[in-house]
Amino acid sequence: MQVFLQTLIGGLSLGAIYALVAMGFSLVYRTMGLVNFAHADVLMIGAYAASTFYMSTKLPFAVAMVLSIALTGLIGLFIERVLRPLENKDFTLMLIGTIGFGMVLQAVAVLIWGATGHAVDNPVQAAPIELFGLRVRTYDLVVLLIVAVAVVLLVGFLQRTKRGAAMQAVAMDHEAATAVGIHVGRSNAIAFAIGAGLAALAGGLVGPLLYVNPTMGGAIGIKGFAAAMLGGCGNIPGAIVGGLAIGVLDSFAAGHFQGYSELVVFLVFTVIIMIKPLGLFGEMTVSRA
Amino acid sequence: MNLPGTLRHPRAPRLGGLAALIAAAWILPYQVGGYAIHVVNIALVFALLAIGMGLAMGIAGQINLAQVAFFGVSAYATAILTTHSGLGFWPAAALAMVASALIGLLVGIPALRMQSHYLGIVTLGLALGFINWTTNAEIAGGAEGISAIPVPPMFGIDLTSEYLYYYLEVVVFALALAFGLFVVRTGLGRRLKAMRDDPLAAGAVGAEIPLLRMTAFMLSSVFGGIAGVLYVGLIRYIAPETFNIANMFLLLAMVVIGGRQSLVGCVVGAIGLTLIREQLVDHPTVAQLGFGIVVVIMVVFAPTGLAGVPARVRAAVDRRRGRSADRAELRPFQPYEPAEQDARTTEETDAGAAAESVAPMLEVREVSKQFRGLKALDGVSVTVARGEIRGIVGPNGSGKTTLFNVISGFYKASGGRVVLDGRTVTGARPYRLSMLGVARTFQNLRLFGEMSVKDNLLVALDRSRTAASWRYVLWPVGVLRREHRLNEQADALLARFGLTEFAGAAPGSLPYGIQRRIEIARAMAGSPRLLLLDEPAAGLNGEEVRQLAEIVRSIRGSGVTVVLIEHNMGLVMSLCERVTVLAGGVVIAEGTPDEVVGDPAVIEAYLGDSAMAEMPLPTTTEVSP
Amino acid sequence: MNSGTAAKDQHESGAAAAAARPETLSVEDLSVHYGGVCAVRSISFTVEPGQSVGIIGANGAGKTSTLKALMGLVPRSGGRVRFGETDLAKVRARDVVRHGIGYVPEGRHVFPGLTVEKNLMLGAYARSWRDPATRRTLEEVYELFPVLGEMHGRLAGALSGGQQQMLAVGRALMAKPRLLLLDEPSMGLSPKLVEDILAVLVRLREEGLSLLLVEQNAKLTFEATSDCVVMENGEVAMTGTSRELREDVRVRRIYLGL
Repeated sequence: MQVFLQTLIGGLSLGAIYALVAMGFSLVYRTMGLVNFAHADVLMIGAYAASTFYMSTKLPFAVAMVLSIALTGLIGLFIERVLRPLENKDFTLMLIGTIGFGMVLQAVAVLIWGATGHAVDNPVQAAPIELFGLRVRTYDLVVLLIVAVAVVLLVGFLQRTKRGAAMQAVAMDHEAATAVGIHVGRSNAIAFAIGAGLAALAGGLVGPLLYVNPTMGGAIGIKGFAAAMLGGCGNIPGAIVGGLAIGVLDSFAAGHFQGYSELVVFLVFTVIIMIKPLGLFGEMTVSRA
Repeated sequence: MNLPGTLRHPRAPRLGGLAALIAAAWILPYQVGGYAIHVVNIALVFALLAIGMGLAMGIAGQINLAQVAFFGVSAYATAILTTHSGLGFWPAAALAMVASALIGLLVGIPALRMQSHYLGIVTLGLALGFINWTTNAEIAGGAEGISAIPVPPMFGIDLTSEYLYYYLEVVVFALALAFGLFVVRTGLGRRLKAMRDDPLAAGAVGAEIPLLRMTAFMLSSVFGGIAGVLYVGLIRYIAPETFNIANMFLLLAMVVIGGRQSLVGCVVGAIGLTLIREQLVDHPTVAQLGFGIVVVIMVVFAPTGLAGVPARVRAAVDRRRGRSADRAELRPFQPYEPAEQDARTTEETDAGAAAESVAPMLEVREVSKQFRGLKALDGVSVTVARGEIRGIVGPNGSGKTTLFNVISGFYKASGGRVVLDGRTVTGARPYRLSMLGVARTFQNLRLFGEMSVKDNLLVALDRSRTAASWRYVLWPVGVLRREHRLNEQADALLARFGLTEFAGAAPGSLPYGIQRRIEIARAMAGSPRLLLLDEPAAGLNGEEVRQLAEIVRSIRGSGVTVVLIEHNMGLVMSLCERVTVLAGGVVIAEGTPDEVVGDPAVIEAYLGDSAMAEMPLPTTTEVSP
Repeated sequence: MNSGTAAKDQHESGAAAAAARPETLSVEDLSVHYGGVCAVRSISFTVEPGQSVGIIGANGAGKTSTLKALMGLVPRSGGRVRFGETDLAKVRARDVVRHGIGYVPEGRHVFPGLTVEKNLMLGAYARSWRDPATRRTLEEVYELFPVLGEMHGRLAGALSGGQQQMLAVGRALMAKPRLLLLDEPSMGLSPKLVEDILAVLVRLREEGLSLLLVEQNAKLTFEATSDCVVMENGEVAMTGTSRELREDVRVRRIYLGL
């Protein structure tokens, strides 16, 4: 029982980060039907930018994060602008195009930061907390807290603001949205920028947990996509549940199958998605007929 | 084969060019140094991988990001079987190919349930899983990999020499490419392309979509397997990093830049990028940056890759000179030979016991269809006699197309039965129904957009089964003979529908009326017994509607039962013996056109006003608009 | 009319707006092509301020294409469309609503995953949400469609077809349009609900709103409008007052394509 709970908690912080990735991915996917394979590499750039601002320029971690989010937001806008002609047209081409962007971002990261990568100092130096005999790293708690705040802010934005409502309207019916006066292109660009910002947040948070390197996006990104698909590609509660599920699965797989954990995670994911192709909350998926 | 005056481009590779290529391949080793030949050997391995990738992504339209895993499975299987189990190289290679094909089938299973990006993420995830296995499994040597793999024996030829190994590779590559092209340009390839362009329409002309998807992945994995075996024999050492995601994306870049829909394009892309990468061996990051940028530019501006450039240039030239399609002319339709017996059954009302014992061609019994609580069809029954032309009319949203979709197997009815010529076919898949003699057209044209008009017809003419594809390996002559026969039939069909001059054109470039006619020709290619036409007159002008009526009558005259959905009541009145009226998912009237038009329920369904039905029906000559 | 003060308000402001800006919709030689197919061929008509005009015709006659072309949602391939002083050819689809034209699309097209109230507020996207006048308009719409008020927190996708139609009309009214374009509001509705829609249209007409109603249901159209255009194969086949056309047997001939 003790081990079980420890593993569960161990999976939550990484799961929360997968949830962030999944949320960004879903937001972009459902507003414009664009499947962004470069999302993972935007995350990597975000991780590098945050850690560089934090460690080299000695900015506070929070400020470094905000700068990194702003930077990747701009990258997101650029990607969206270039691929706009393909939106809602050809899924395959769009997917390949974002993979091309991913290659570019990785190369840029290597050119700027080198191929080897670096470790990031833990911004929270406090000792682990003992809770009912469970050891919880303080940084994990900070991650969970920040992710929770990000979720609340995002949901608040979508639910409470005019711009957020418009963005959801565009996702549901872009012609009707146009007819009520919404600028669909601008709404999509903002969605893309927010998606990129969420990736950067995930990257910045994951830096101190893992090692920052140009190919770090690969595994985190694909697990984030997997989380989005489990949650039904396109809804936020689904992305959160999917992310936490993948994180916990990851943690248990690492405990039981050691090195083979990734293989196990992907096999389990494939089986689930085969049984429920629309994800666990599939009915909520917005149909884009 | 190439009729004068058609738009067909000469496809057969010129023998001279082929001889030159063989000569160049032959003398290449004499011209280059030891390192260069190594690079060429690697390039050929990539080219084989790219062909496999092109078959899955470009030809069959199935996103496959697990190609490096297929490659890796056969490479690792060969390595393990030779070093651990002590098998000889070639037996191990044969088993490795089998393993690779099996993995291909396994990875293909998700394609049965999901498409596009979902499939991309799942295949990529499985590829990551494979890398994860290789880096951890003891038997795979972990991060160190496996070394000391034996040299493949070859009748005393020393294959440690990269020069001699080159000849082995080049022969295997040439055979593999030839086989790939053979598949692409014959029945199986056409069916894969049809599935890529429009899986629904492909199903309606008899393509077994699930089996085809699996076939696509298996073809892909077999090419990956060949590449793996050759790679192991060449390097005789393998490690996980060869099969990583970066190489997967490099492979994708090769295929996209070369042109995913052309195998030759894929080969050019693979060899080109390998050579460029070799030039930039000291600046791998610059190479990656460059490839990434080119991929992005390609997808936005030249989605067909380098292989598509000649066609785009030609199209641009044609546009400047005035479009060549405009010069081609639609010829008149040549009627079918009337089939005496079938035509008579509808004429003779007193045919007696003999006619009555014949089951109706189509019987829809109490069929219902619900979409999330909404009743699109509610207990609809329609019986269509053999050789009849039946019209189905009704206001928007009355369930007409839903009924067609149920009859042709696209929707599963929530209740009721569909009986075709006395045989219950409820719930059968579209390709099964196509085989049983049901053909259809679609309201919004569903032609295979990236295939020529003739290929569109050939897909439907080919009634062989995908399961019979073993003949590609064991009896290619049979495949070629079949092709010859199909070609003749296609030419006859093109001539019948007056489409000969458009044989080589892309359907999307043709006027709408011609596209409509192509769709009917395609439906007739399968020699159906029951033809379902969904709004065949939509978008046609008066003369075209007249021609359509003539075509439909001739089709019926040849013994085919026709059911058509149509808004053009004039056409329905002149063409149909009986008309069924649907409104709100229910049959509200059925009878001769005259009876139906006078029916108050019909008037109310159309105009919302039963009072107007009381007014006298004007004769056609009374007023003119 | 025994409406409450809110409705009177709307009446007055609507009338005032119409008086202040007597805008005529004039359509001349409008054509629409989809990939080589001519859906609408050079049609002309006008909607005077406060007038209600119907466009009727069988399926595929080009009615919906006409409305979408007015909204700029499909490209116009010829002709002139003016609303008052404004040349609509120069107005982007997303800005048409800002010139006082509301649109109720065919098949309702509410935002299914948003609440009724969010749907309505999005109808007022072009206006300030903080402005008390917007709030007032919302109250007016709830007064016009009490059922929407009762269900304001429900997801639009969970409403019945008739309620969704009310919502679509309400959403368009939220922009305070001076001209309302409606595309087949009766589609898929029971006769009782068609009567309800008719009552709403009559009331909007009485309040001075200009209406352009595209319908297959000829009866509804004749009762809701003063003048009608009958379309056939993308062209205008007949025009006249609704009363005249109602008695004209040719309408039926056109409908049934005889």
